Amino acid sequence: MAIKRKFCLLAGATMLLASTAAWSAEIHGRSSTQFLWFNDIFTEQKQVEFGEYLNLSVSKIDKDNKLTFQGYGRLTQDVRNGEGLNGRLYYLYGDYHDLYNKVDLRFGRQFVNYAAGTALIDGGKIDLKNVGPVAFSVMGGRNVFFDLNGEGTRSNDFAFGVAAYLQGFQKTDAEVSYFMKFDKDGIARDQVGASVKQYLFNSVKVYSDARFDMPSETVSEVLAGVKYFPTSDLIFTGEWYQSYPTFDSTSIYSIFAVDRYQEGVFRVDYTINDKIGVNVGYSKQDYGEGADADVYEIGCRIRPIEKLQVNLNYDKRSGYGGQLNGGIAEVIYQATKPLELAAGIHFDVYERDRLTGEETARKFWVGGKYKLAKNMSASLRVEDDNNVSYASDWQGRAVFNYDF
Amino acid sequence: MGCALVYLQQQSYAEKVAHKEYSDMEIKECNSCHKSEGIAPNHDSDFVRGHRVLASKAGNNCNQCHEQKWCLDCHQGGGTGDDLTKENFGRDYKPKSHRSDFITIHPIKAQDNPQSCYRCHDTKYCSDCHSRFPMGNMRIKSHLMLGPNGQKYSFALGEHATEARRNLQSCQACHPDGDVCIQCHSAKIGGTNPHPRGFKAGNFRDRSDGKVCQKCHLPGSF
Repeated sequence: MAIKRKFCLLAGATMLLASTAAWSAEIHGRSSTQFLWFNDIFTEQKQVEFGEYLNLSVSKIDKDNKLTFQGYGRLTQDVRNGEGLNGRLYYLYGDYHDLYNKVDLRFGRQFVNYAAGTALIDGGKIDLKNVGPVAFSVMGGRNVFFDLNGEGTRSNDFAFGVAAYLQGFQKTDAEVSYFMKFDKDGIARDQVGASVKQYLFNSVKVYSDARFDMPSETVSEVLAGVKYFPTSDLIFTGEWYQSYPTFDSTSIYSIFAVDRYQEGVFRVDYTINDKIGVNVGYSKQDYGEGADADVYEIGCRIRPIEKLQVNLNYDKRSGYGGQLNGGIAEVIYQATKPLELAAGIHFDVYERDRLTGEETARKFWVGGKYKLAKNMSASLRVEDDNNVSYASDWQGRAVFNYDF
Repeated sequence: MGCALVYLQQQSYAEKVAHKEYSDMEIKECNSCHKSEGIAPNHDSDFVRGHRVLASKAGNNCNQCHEQKWCLDCHQGGGTGDDLTKENFGRDYKPKSHRSDFITIHPIKAQDNPQSCYRCHDTKYCSDCHSRFPMGNMRIKSHLMLGPNGQKYSFALGEHATEARRNLQSCQACHPDGDVCIQCHSAKIGGTNPHPRGFKAGNFRDRSDGKVCQKCHLPGSF
């Protein structure tokens, strides 16, 4: 219910600001009105809903355009199964940048990323910059997360973080940060993170990031990679990654012994010309105690004529955890200037264990979008799923978008 | 030290270019600058897997071109239906990594870097969904050994221990409170010690004020 109130706040603020003629601020955004029909896998009932998605940006509030407001949320109404209203506020924050040319402030619901941790918070983030080669950031607030039915945050869920990072270096990025999360039982997470990136010789990028879990005193995640790009069209990537399953310290699972997961990746991305781009990749996965898996991947993007684009991706996985063999094919065609047509297929043949044998999942979809005016478009997308659960399952959405 | 200072000074003269004014350009046009700057194109076909290194740090410059909507449509949901190749059935966009019948294939896909699920989903998301299925309905390898109807493992067979060490997250999805684990691992009944070597008991005790410890240990015994 709180979310619905917040969405109404977002919508109400839009109308109020828009109707204040004397106010010189600019309000831009998108209203997306949608009609959705889909299969609710939990109730096994066909769900039919109307939805309103609102994305909002308010700028030029002050003379120097330093203060802006951003918002994004949705509200849906079920019209078939009596589930009523459902809402979600993704973000709603005010942003003031370059205070004394040194401080950026952001308050409200927002997505925050540090190397040590990521969170959607109801709170604030303050960045101190232009005080030398190192800038600082601090954030904190209510830790927002979503479960199946909506917002799952409880009264004692909070997240805090602090970071120091290099600023202004063209070829170097480095960051050290600390992230802490609370729940009803105490300190759920506290971890230190680091991230570094360096360009070398105009053709090499080396990068790494890592997380150190303080309670277990373990490096819970490490990624080390190198990209070699003799030209900007050809990129060779090699990466090594390892992680340990990490749980909240307030969970019983945090005290169990776990195995290390390791992964080696090699891939090549090559844009041959304006018409063709290809990529191939191989990953070796090691789960510990003799279990491993191999993943091969290949893809291409073809644009034989300017109006037509074809995307193809295929991967094959075998080893621990099961076999998976499949991919995605998509075609996008700009039939006329206002009309775009698209279609695609997802296809997977998989075997989770020897008892199940091979099973198949297919998804076919087709869609069209028509630009009614510069700031208005309408689209329709329908899909049919054929898999172990459904011989045929039609889902779709009809959308009217209005940009203001 | 001196060399390092000179290096830092030279670096600071070569400041990053603000990208805001280029935000409307197409990705392929970015190469016209980046090619000569010796900077690898960041938005290549490997972007979905690789963008964490770019985005997951303080001071990233993603917001010079993207609203937070661009991140959250995949990470938290949303979607204004503009991109026909994206599906949003069930109210929120599904990233392309969730292809075909993802409900069924996710146990396989989740093995490709087990941390990746938690970049977007809280563990409660997993346990909420799994709790809707009757116990014994899941095809868990270590649970199948005594037959699909029994859905019970025997610790003597040993496979559950290996499976749990490799993939403990999947245990949590169905047993969020660890009630099943405690049946055999609790110190109160003299069960098998589940802790890793060099276990930092004090760290966990301090953080939860002993609440986690008391699930298996008597007060004052840890």
